[in-house]
Amino acid sequence: MPKFLFIFRHSTDPQSRPSPEEMQALAVQWHAWMQKFSASILPGGDGLKPGGRLIKAGIETDGPYVEAKEFVASFSLIQADDLDAATAIARECPGDNVIEIRELAGYA
Amino acid sequence: MSEPRALVEHFFRHEFGRLVAVLTRSLGARRLDLAEDVAQAALARALETWPRRGIPEDPAGWLYHTARNLAIDAWRREQAHAKALPRLVDEAERETAPPESRFADEIGDEPLRLLFIGCHESVPPESRVAFALRTLCGFSTAEIARGLLATEANVQKRIERARHRLRDLDIDFDALAAPQLHARLDAVLSVIYLLFTQGCHATHVDVPIRRDLCDEARRLARMLADHPVGAVPAVHALLALMCFHAARFDARVALDGGVVLFEQQDRSAWNWNDAREGMAWLAKSAVGDELTRYHVEAAIAWEHCRAPTFADTDWGRIAELYDALDRVAPSPIHALNRAVAESHLRGPQAGLDLLAAVVPENIPARYPGWHAVVGELHFRLGRRSDAERAWREALRLSTAGADREFLRRRLADCRRFPDHTADPNS
Repeated sequence: MPKFLFIFRHSTDPQSRPSPEEMQALAVQWHAWMQKFSASILPGGDGLKPGGRLIKAGIETDGPYVEAKEFVASFSLIQADDLDAATAIARECPGDNVIEIRELAGYA
Repeated sequence: MSEPRALVEHFFRHEFGRLVAVLTRSLGARRLDLAEDVAQAALARALETWPRRGIPEDPAGWLYHTARNLAIDAWRREQAHAKALPRLVDEAERETAPPESRFADEIGDEPLRLLFIGCHESVPPESRVAFALRTLCGFSTAEIARGLLATEANVQKRIERARHRLRDLDIDFDALAAPQLHARLDAVLSVIYLLFTQGCHATHVDVPIRRDLCDEARRLARMLADHPVGAVPAVHALLALMCFHAARFDARVALDGGVVLFEQQDRSAWNWNDAREGMAWLAKSAVGDELTRYHVEAAIAWEHCRAPTFADTDWGRIAELYDALDRVAPSPIHALNRAVAESHLRGPQAGLDLLAAVVPENIPARYPGWHAVVGELHFRLGRRSDAERAWREALRLSTAGADREFLRRRLADCRRFPDHTADPNS
């Protein structure tokens, strides 16, 4: 079955951060999402710590990249019949996310 | 391990407040912004982890240790920057203690201390409520704006003002001594009282009662009563008054969200757990010889609660209590309430006479409740056109959705029952 990488991006704007009350509701909704699609979610997904480093043209810079409007916050590995089926799963993710859905090429 | 749905209601919001307070003790009141960022980041980490792995056995402890580590990381990063930037060197040299030693392991009365710090005399009163709602109750700016019926920009400005003042003052969190706490108790009580009345009265556009605000006010007051500084009659009286009001919340709101008048409230819907809690606080408040406005208001709220039927309400006692309240804390609103009690006792004309005698210069002009009561008293006397005039004025001044709906209903009654016919409500 094809595999997909879900890349979750969050806004860097502090105004768009969810409130504590909203975060608690999101925790419940994420748990429900993971239960519902447990057969499709492959091990390996994780959140990403803030910070990090960027190498570009041999020059290292520290992240996070303050100029960026969004940063990659977490990723999931999903198996689904096709891109439409993967998209349907992504659409049910709770919260106000930007989600990039990419199919794994299977080169490795 | 259990599911996130097993968390108690408002867990994240309340933990946010506790974390900000604990972190502020370690980082200093100057660094409130950092404390809030770290608390937010700790919750974000819980949001990432708990849905996957379940809730840890001690979720509050997990959050605290996560926040503590995040704060130490942030502190180290700042130190590194400080070394790189000469401008900040002074500050770095001043703070030489190893970061770990700056974090207390015991979680104690920090939230209460932060509440007192936020009520510092140099923080403008209108900033204190917004500040408490943000830092201690964990509401977002948007949520506070909805609760206080203010714009987000306005709420943000109020919070910023409090933060700026506190940053400039550079208060030592631990140095707040008992005498200072006692001196600021009145200010703290009025913030809690204001929080409760904001939640209680129909200031909101659609919802007559903002229970979350009322619940927070009671939570802060209970916290205060648990502490030696707050275990005083005034605090107990304030708790009693809030509990007696809370007991009638269900009965005050109709199924369609509208306001239900006291005479029409369903007494079987009164919450006797709240009322009993109120009685316990009232008993505790009756110690010593200090009589605060909270004592009198608690007694008034209790009189409204305790009568088995509307007809059994002791209006004579309520009228006396409003007189007493006006002596302790003078306000034309108390005269208005006194007139309502008087009208039940001796008829609508007696109420109107009282209002005519005490009418203050500017209050009736901007207070819709005044005109609503005048309209009601005229209506009961069968003077529909006078009632209509007063209610139109109240409608013009009122901004609350539920109140406006109620006034529109009463104006429709005026048209249905012309002058000097029987009052449909009597």
